[in-house]
Amino acid sequence: MRGLHQRLGWPGAVSLALILIAFGMALLAPWVAPFPDQGAGAPSIATKFLPPSADHLLGTDHLGRDMVSRVIYGARVSLSSGLLIVAFSLLIGLPVGVLAGYFGGWLDEGLMRITDVFLAFPALLLAVLMAAALGPGLLNSIVAVAVTWWPWYARMARAEVLALRGQPYVEAAQLMGVGHPRIILRHILPAAVRPLSVQAALDVGPALLTASALSFLGLGVLPPTADWGQMVDAGRKFFPERWWYSAAPGMAVFILALAFSVLGDALRDRAGGRRDGSA
Amino acid sequence: MNRRDLLISAGLAPLALQALSRWSVAEAQDGSRIFTLANPTGFPDLDPSTSFSNDGLVLANVYESLTRYVPGTTEAPASVAPLLAESWQATDGGKTWTFTLRKGVRFHDGTELTAEAVKGSIERTMKIGGGAAFIWSAVTAITAPDPLTVVFSLSTAQPLDLIASAGFAGWIISPAAQAQDNAWFNAGQDGGTGPFRIDSYEPGQRVIASRFADHWGGTPEGGFDTAVFEVVEDSVLAQSMIESGNADWTYSLPFDNLEAMKANPDLQVVANPSFENLFALLNTRRAPLDRPRVRQALALAFPYDDVITAGTAGLGTRSRGIVPPGIWGHDPEAPMVMTDLEAARALLAEEGLADSGLELTLTYVTSDALEALAGELWKANLETLGITLTLQPMAWEAMWDLSKADPAQAQDILLLYWWATYVTPYDYLFNLFHSEETPTFNLAYYSNPAFDRLIDEAAALSGTDRAKAEDMFKAAQRMMIEDAPAVFILDKPNVHILRSDVKGYADNPAYGHVVFVNDLSR
Repeated sequence: MRGLHQRLGWPGAVSLALILIAFGMALLAPWVAPFPDQGAGAPSIATKFLPPSADHLLGTDHLGRDMVSRVIYGARVSLSSGLLIVAFSLLIGLPVGVLAGYFGGWLDEGLMRITDVFLAFPALLLAVLMAAALGPGLLNSIVAVAVTWWPWYARMARAEVLALRGQPYVEAAQLMGVGHPRIILRHILPAAVRPLSVQAALDVGPALLTASALSFLGLGVLPPTADWGQMVDAGRKFFPERWWYSAAPGMAVFILALAFSVLGDALRDRAGGRRDGSA
Repeated sequence: MNRRDLLISAGLAPLALQALSRWSVAEAQDGSRIFTLANPTGFPDLDPSTSFSNDGLVLANVYESLTRYVPGTTEAPASVAPLLAESWQATDGGKTWTFTLRKGVRFHDGTELTAEAVKGSIERTMKIGGGAAFIWSAVTAITAPDPLTVVFSLSTAQPLDLIASAGFAGWIISPAAQAQDNAWFNAGQDGGTGPFRIDSYEPGQRVIASRFADHWGGTPEGGFDTAVFEVVEDSVLAQSMIESGNADWTYSLPFDNLEAMKANPDLQVVANPSFENLFALLNTRRAPLDRPRVRQALALAFPYDDVITAGTAGLGTRSRGIVPPGIWGHDPEAPMVMTDLEAARALLAEEGLADSGLELTLTYVTSDALEALAGELWKANLETLGITLTLQPMAWEAMWDLSKADPAQAQDILLLYWWATYVTPYDYLFNLFHSEETPTFNLAYYSNPAFDRLIDEAAALSGTDRAKAEDMFKAAQRMMIEDAPAVFILDKPNVHILRSDVKGYADNPAYGHVVFVNDLSR
């Protein structure tokens, strides 16, 4: 931990710890949550709308479910949608960017103009349109956000590949008659993926925030699956008398998104410093 | 990538702007003479011939029908009161109805109300045949022997005075407007005689109506000059509008918030029984719900009491069949299905569906908190029976489209509210369960010739032998409970929230979701 906090600074280290705790809770939800069946959606009418107490640290919701358990189960949905959005986006964005950057010419023009079309739309608006067209559901909302997300990776990958393409070792490989697929897979991709992967890891936070925004608008998971955005929306109707309903998932989104943001800054500072030093 | 975060907040900004723009209307004039209604839905169709939805709220203030239903009280039974018709008479055993019109009634365009205009209005509605036009199905001819007399000839004896009081399809339209098409009305123009006339209409936003100075009833003392019908789909915004005085009337707020609102001295919370009920229509054309016993098992698995306690703060009441209390033909002795998971399990086992991993889809309206809660609680019960109920909240339009698909491809279960078109049990039984070539509201896709015959005969008898008709309607309801094309959930309380300085509010359950602004003052 000492090494980590020196490298990332205290805020960065704390953020990383928070993110790891969130992942841990999500993975171990059935064991960590005080009322696992309620976290998974089982109603308990008798305990409806209880304020925070020793039994229910964050109170209960309109179906009497323990909010601590709901928030922990909600972490599963939020984190996995964050991860999957980034993964899907990389899956589309990386090949597009690499092909465009490597081959250049009309292929580059074509692919990048398509990318620009997607970038021309406001991201959230496009995601809302997509999600509304696909219908609600976790996978649909992930796809909807990924559609707005991949162009960023395509542009980043293209920029990296453009720089790599002129490197002597790549030119040498080309002169030796190595085929394009092999050059891309062996010489370009590994070098291009590294900076992208850092960015992708940090994007889980904003991606999660967008997915929460969608489910807040009713375009995310289907009930009774717990989801932070959807819980904030459901609780909003009972605000402020039952403030805890919206506040608990709202704080969870806030803390996690902030943690990702702070960690991102810490990593960027670190990367920036080193690059300056070596230049 | 901070740009994305910025875009997220930018995406939400229009919502805030929309909220602000609502208030600019109220600020433009002296607020005390404006009555602002925060309505939870839009107004799909302002054509008085075809309107059959929440648009009734606007039309009931702009148009008038021949008669109006007056609900029963402890002192007096329910009756039909004069409106555009001053008196009427049934002859020929209830097959000929003669209405005498009120003198000196003017349409908003200045022309006078005549028998020809009444004839033309009903004929336009019947000819288009959309919406609630079915209420006139017994009418074979309309004549206007003199300017203030209209005569209806019917194929069977029907209570036409009651039918004419309907909240839909009974509106009288000026001759000039009768010639217009649907688009003309939906552009924010009207041809009514009512106390208000439409000034402007922004679809999805608001209708602004101002007082019609030449209304036959005159202007009541302290009456409002302007009625603003705001579309406020978000219940949180509606609640903040009524609490802050930016709206004077609303409904459909979460039942759980009513206690807090009752304690607020600025608000009056008016709760009455309504003619509106909530039920689940089961797709009878799709396996395994095509089997009555499987449908009965689903009804046995429904958590009735929990939904009433948790969903309506205890204000709702258990339904006994589809016809709610207060409407003739309601059967207070009808059997009530009780939640009984063991009995449900046994039925499913008999049908070979014990822990079968059966998957069913339930559709309901996204914004409806009560429907969502009913779905979630039902799902939990069904899970213990090995049935997975997928909850599919949808926008009403999308849900409606899906329900119109081939029943084999449509939803398994759909949650729906119904309120009376006019006060008759036939309205519930016919619209929801009568066989239909292409289903409109029979979204259980139910077809039972014996049932059809029974209610059609009862309807034909309701003008002459009310007692016999009532017995037949009750038998038909028991048939539906037994055959279970629907799960009858609850009769909804009619809860309206008004500012406490609004006087004169009286609920009329025959006009669901309607408030007559002309009755009110500040």
